[in-house]
Formats: sequence, structure tokens, C-alpha cells
Amino acid sequence: MQVTLGCLRNAYNMVLQKFGEKLYSGLVTTMTSHLRQISQSIESAQGEIFLEELNRKWVEHNKALLMIRDILMYMDRTFVPSSRKTPVHELGLNLWRDVVIHSNKTQSRLLDTLIDLVLKERNGEVINRGLMRNLIKMLMDLGLSVYQNDFEKHFIEVSKDFYCCESQKFIESCNCGDYLKKAERRLNEEMERVSHYLDPSSESKIIKVVETEMIENHMHTLVHMENSGLVSMFVDDKYEDLERIYNLFRRVPSGLTIVKDVMTSFIRDTGKQLIMDPERLKDPVDFVQRLLDLKDKYDKAITLAFNNDKTFQNALNSAFEYFINLNARSPEFISLFVDDKLRRGLKGVGEEDVEIVLDKVMMLFRYLQEKDMFEKYYKQHLAKRLLSGKTVSDEAERSLIVKLKTECGYQFTSKLEGMFTDMKTSYDMMQGFLACHGAELGDSPTLSVQVLTTGSWPTQSSPQCNLPSEILGVCEKFRSYYLGAHSGRRLSWQANMGNADLKATFGKGQKHELNVSTYQMCVLMLFNNADRLSCKEIEQATAIPMPDLKRCLQSLALVKGKNVLRKEPMSKDIAEDDAFFFNDKFTSKLFKVKIGTVVAQRESEPENIETRQRVEEDRKPQIEAAIVRVMKSRKILEHNNIIAEVTKQLQARFLPNPVVIKKRIESLIEREFLERDKVDRKMYRYLA
Amino acid sequence: MIFADGITLLCNDIQVDPQDIVMLVLSWHMKAGTMCEFSKKEFTEGLQSLGIDSLEKFREKIPSMRSELKDEQKFREIYNFAFGWAKEKGQKSLALDTAIGMWQLLFAEKQWPLVDHWCQFLQARHNKAISRDTWSQLLEFAKTVSSNLSDYDAEGAWPYLIDEFVDYLKENGVNQHGQINDSSLN
Repeated sequence: MQVTLGCLRNAYNMVLQKFGEKLYSGLVTTMTSHLRQISQSIESAQGEIFLEELNRKWVEHNKALLMIRDILMYMDRTFVPSSRKTPVHELGLNLWRDVVIHSNKTQSRLLDTLIDLVLKERNGEVINRGLMRNLIKMLMDLGLSVYQNDFEKHFIEVSKDFYCCESQKFIESCNCGDYLKKAERRLNEEMERVSHYLDPSSESKIIKVVETEMIENHMHTLVHMENSGLVSMFVDDKYEDLERIYNLFRRVPSGLTIVKDVMTSFIRDTGKQLIMDPERLKDPVDFVQRLLDLKDKYDKAITLAFNNDKTFQNALNSAFEYFINLNARSPEFISLFVDDKLRRGLKGVGEEDVEIVLDKVMMLFRYLQEKDMFEKYYKQHLAKRLLSGKTVSDEAERSLIVKLKTECGYQFTSKLEGMFTDMKTSYDMMQGFLACHGAELGDSPTLSVQVLTTGSWPTQSSPQCNLPSEILGVCEKFRSYYLGAHSGRRLSWQANMGNADLKATFGKGQKHELNVSTYQMCVLMLFNNADRLSCKEIEQATAIPMPDLKRCLQSLALVKGKNVLRKEPMSKDIAEDDAFFFNDKFTSKLFKVKIGTVVAQRESEPENIETRQRVEEDRKPQIEAAIVRVMKSRKILEHNNIIAEVTKQLQARFLPNPVVIKKRIESLIEREFLERDKVDRKMYRYLA
Repeated sequence: MIFADGITLLCNDIQVDPQDIVMLVLSWHMKAGTMCEFSKKEFTEGLQSLGIDSLEKFREKIPSMRSELKDEQKFREIYNFAFGWAKEKGQKSLALDTAIGMWQLLFAEKQWPLVDHWCQFLQARHNKAISRDTWSQLLEFAKTVSSNLSDYDAEGAWPYLIDEFVDYLKENGVNQHGQINDSSLN
């Protein structure tokens, strides 16, 4: 068709002469009948030609429509608005929609063909995407509602069925990892499909279908799949699979919650097993190392696969907090671990690595509810390290103290710092003593004294043991020197904490230097004047408490390569009537023989119970102080609120037991710091 | 001062057993500081306030004093008075044996089904003196918590001894009527 000036003029004139109505209805009639023919020709197209024919006719119709609009431009501008008719172009589209697309035969055929092509493509066939795109575009041109009603609605329905079936098939045949790979691929395919030939508005809808059908409906099954579910992924460190699970599950409601819950309960179980395993408790250092390894493992998973998700980090932390506190010995073991590291483990390790280890320990420390227990053990272990001179790095020691201080405040570490100060003061003191008395000491044994401030150190008021006469003299000299400089102070020897180097000559004249504890020195020196002594006799001569004495005899007589004493009978245990002899036949390749029992070890059960009781005792005044602080500011407070506030105040150090708090409240009532309210017995009043 | 011997004579005169709970009510009226003792002041002022000026009147007064125990408010006062009255001078708390004796006396009047279990529990698990707080809270407990413990609140600010008593009852299976099933306790 050619647009000629004649056509334009005729159209113009007709409208001008009020024949607009006639022209418009003529257009409708003509176009309708024309489109009926076209529709028939499209309907008669067989098989695959159908879509091509439809597309071809659509392109032609569009061209024609543009021309007709141009010709009837005047009508479009004047008659159409004034008589409220549909503009020409839109009319053309509507007629195409009603006559061609919605013709009985075409409407369902078009839909089926389009859907069929999508399904073919999903099954891996190559389809003519260009044609698809044109036809989808046609539907969009006819109006969003046409696209939605004639295609999208069904497309979504069919896709639902498709993915419902497919996911069912996969879930029965695939392991979790493979399933997720397939789901991920399907998601990507659908996104790609939208970008190639669907309207962008369909993306969220079809993605939702895949998410719901392939992920949400099966997430429990997937996560719990035996041998391939989430737990196996964690066990086998399958970071890629974990990352996939994270990225897919985050798409659906409560998907990540499920992942998080499974992770939490698995860590809890693993941790609980580890922490309750009696085998593990035999080696505290290994025990803590395993805790750290476990933490590292999950940290890594969260970093690599879970995008450092805060909620997962929190879940990990709370799981650790849960199981670490299941074992009352965790504080002790963590301190033993530090002891091991600061004693030897850090040798030759760079300064940065030291910090890393210490930071990890601090992280475990943070999980502890009974931080005061840790402090107690830490103090004991630090004391042994300092006094035996076994600490590897002063800097590492101080660094950890600083960390503890940052975590728990000045109060927590003041005594630990006091210990360091004592060490320094003692060193200066010894220098002064030697400068003053060095000359007159002559051949007498070399003495090195550490003066420990009572209260800062974990000293026990152990009974004074009898020191050998050989060193009494120099000890007395030091005592008078010290008291001369600091009158009014009291000194007592803590023989249970000291050590000594002894020169010993054995049977064939071989000489050795024996490094022993002060107690062991007291024992060995007795054998200068005796060949045979019973355990009981040694106890009487030295006044060393029996349990300590047995322990030191054990390491003098029963350890191979260090048995400078000989025991009769040769049994493992030590009875009070057992006899001990100087072992003339002792040999060792080493000149220096270390016998001291200085290494911190895990406590025995009775010791552990005793420590716990001491800590419980220490807590009482702290709990009372907290109650009084709370009541002083609140004046009157309900029982459960006091429990809550006191717990809150103290939780940085320990988790007080509500029953214990209650007992302290009752004690304070008894001592008239508090009283019960006369009317409401659940309220307490502060008595100023 | 009237001491134990004098009180025995007094009891003879007014025809009352010295172990009778009414003697506690009398002591409460006299504001007596200590068991088995009346100072002259306590005795005379007490008699005055009771309006007693003859032995006749004294004897007549006994039944009305006894009935005062039925009064909820007065019983509470007498109960709380009993703690200070029965404890040793200079002690803060009440010796267990005395406390148990007093409870048996008082709760015979008040009818608390758990009193025997309570006393058995104290002897078995506590065996120490009783604080004033525990003493006074026990009456509240007896009054407000039913004997099958269904309305006992573990967070109800009861003294820990009472909490432990409840645990003890539950361990030993307390039934609907406040009876313990375990025969070894009886």
C-alpha cells in the first residue's frame, strides 16, 4: 500500500464534513474482515510453521497499522478524542487481539506451543529464541494483561508442576550436594530465559516458583540427608557445597534458620562429646587444642561459605559457650593450655603467632561462665612459671595479662600484676643482699629468694618444713637483712614453691647436678647422714606434709632415669613403712638431672573439689557486696529482680547460682542489712 | 522475778499444765522477754492489762486466752512473738530442738498437715538453728501454700530451707492429701 496525498486529503475531507463516524466504522469493519482472513491463514498453518506465520502476519499488520494511522491522522486527532473512540493504532491492536489471537483455534494453540517450547528448552533442546522473543513481545504489545492472561499465568502454573515433579525426582535420586547443584543451575536457567525472551516482570515470579518447589519444599529433607546433608558437609569441610546451601537457602523464608539450627545442634553435640569424653580429659593441652581446632573449623566455614554472616557467628559462639561450661574443669584446662604454651610451646614462634595463640585462648576464656575459676588456676600456674623461672617470654606473659585486663577490668588482674612486681623487687633485693653480705657467705650454698606479697600469690599456709642445716645459716642471714630493711614485716618460707640445684656424687664417683624441688632437697640432704630411712622417718625429720612427701618420694625413687633413691619394696605406691636408700647405682647420660615436680598438672579429684570450695567461699562476699550495692541504690526491690540484677552484675566473673544468692540474702536479713517488707513478703528493703 | 519454780507454782494455782500453749498466750500478754521467766514488771503490768486482780479472775481468764489462738491476726502475733520468747538470750537464731517443740505446739493449734514432715526434714537434712526469717516465713508458707504443694512457686522468695523442704517432699512423693508415701518417714 502506498500512502498518497489523495488518501490523506480524502480522509481529511471526510472528517471535516462530519463523516468521521462513517470513516471510523468503515475502518473497523474493513480491518475486522481483513483480520478474519489473516486469522484463517494462520490457523491453517501446520506444525512449526504456525508460529512463524503468526509472527510474519503480525509484522505485516504492524506495518499496515502504522500506515493507516498516518492516513487517518486527522481523524485520530479530532474525531477520536471528541467522540471518545479508541485511537486507530490501539484499535488495530485490539482487533488483532480479539480477531486473531483470541480466535478459538489460535488462543490455546499459541499458548500450548509457547509452553511446549519452554519445556523443550528445559529438557535441553535448542529452540528458536528469536521467534519466542518476538511473539512474547507481541503479547506485551497487546497489553500487559494479555501477556499475563494468555501466557504468564499458565507458564507459571506449568512451571510449578514441572519443578514439583523434577524436584521430587531429584530428591529421590540425588545426594544433597548434587541436588543443590541442579537447583542452582535451574535458577540460573530461568533467569537467563527471562533475559532472553520473557518480560522482565516475570523474573521474580518464575524464580519464586523454582525457590519454592526446589528449595523450600525440600529444605528439611535436604539438610538432614544422611551421608550428604549439612552435617556431612561440615564434617568433610565441603565449603563449596556449604556456600551453595547458604546462597540457595537464604532465598527462602526461614531457610537460613534451618541451616543455622542444624549447625548449632551439631556443634553442640560434637562439643559435648569432646568435652565429656573421659579419654580427652587426661590430656588438658590436647583437650584445649581440640577445642581450638573445632572453633577454627567452623570459623573457616563461616568465613568461606557463609559470607561471615553475623547470625552464624553468634550461633557458633553460643554453641561453644553452651558446651564449654558443661565441664566444670574447662577453666582449669584452658589455664593449663596457656601454661604449656608459655612454658615451652612458643619457643621459636614469631611474635605475631604468639599473639594469635593468645587471642584464641582469650576467645575460649570469653565463653567461660566461671571466669573466677580460671583466675584461680591462672594464678597458680603463673606462680609456678615465675618461681621456677620457666616462663619463655616475659612479653607474652604480659600481653596475656593486658588482654585479661581489657576483658575483665583492673580488679581481675591486679594480683597477677602484683606477682610480676614481686619478681622484680625480689631480684633487686637479692642484688642488695649479695652486695652487702656476699663476701662473708663464702662457700655456703647460693641462695636466691623471691619475696612474695601475701594475697597476691596463691600461697598456702602450709606448716613450716625443717630446712637442712646446711642452708639454715644463709637463710637466717637473709631474713635479718630483709627485716632490717623492712621492719614490721613477717617472713615465712614457702618451701613447697621453691627449687634447688644439688651436687651429688654416686657409686663409681660420677658427679651429677640434680635439679629438685625444695622439699626434695630436704629429703635428699638427709641421706648425707643415713643409708636407710623409712617414709615415716623422713616425714618426722623434714615435717613435710605426707601427701606432698609421697609425691616427692615418688619422683625421686620411681621415675626411670631419675631414681636417685631406691625403694623397698619396689612397688608403685608409697606406704609409710617403705624404706628408702641412696641409689649408688644411679646412672644418667645427662650431667644435669631434672627431678623437680614443677610442671603444672591437672588437679586430682580431691584437689579439684578443694579448689572449687575455695572459689565458692570467695564468691560469697562478692555476692553479698553485689546485693548490698543493688539494694543501696534501689532501697526496695522484689526478690526475683534482685536475683536478676545481682546475676547481671557478677556475670563478667561468674554465673552465680540463684540458690546461693538466696542464701546470701537470708544471711543479710539475719545481719539486719535487709528486711522483708511487712506487707509483701517478696519485697526486700535496704536498712541503712 | 519469777523463774521456772515459780511458774510451776503459778500453774498449780491457775490449774494449767506448764506445757499448755495457753502459757505462751499468757506470756504474750505479759510481753515476757524469755521463756519460763516473768520479771516483776512484766507480771504486774500484764495482769493489769488483762484486768486480773484475783486468782478467781485469773482462772476465769484462761478459756478466753485460749480462744485468742483462733483469731488469725492474734495467732500470727503470738507465733512471731514465740520466736523471741523461746530463743536463748544473746542468740540470733532459735535452737532446732526448741523450734521443733514450739512448732508442734503451735501447729497442733493451727493444724498444718505438713508439720511432722517439716520437723523430720529439719532433723534429717538441716540440723542447725532456725533464723527469724525462716521462722516467720514458715507460717506464711503454711497459710498460703496448700499441702499438696500445687500452688507452690519456686521463685516465690521463700527461704531456701523451705525450698529444700519442698524438694524433699517431692523426692519422697507427697500425695494429694499432703501425705508422704514413703513409709520409712513415718
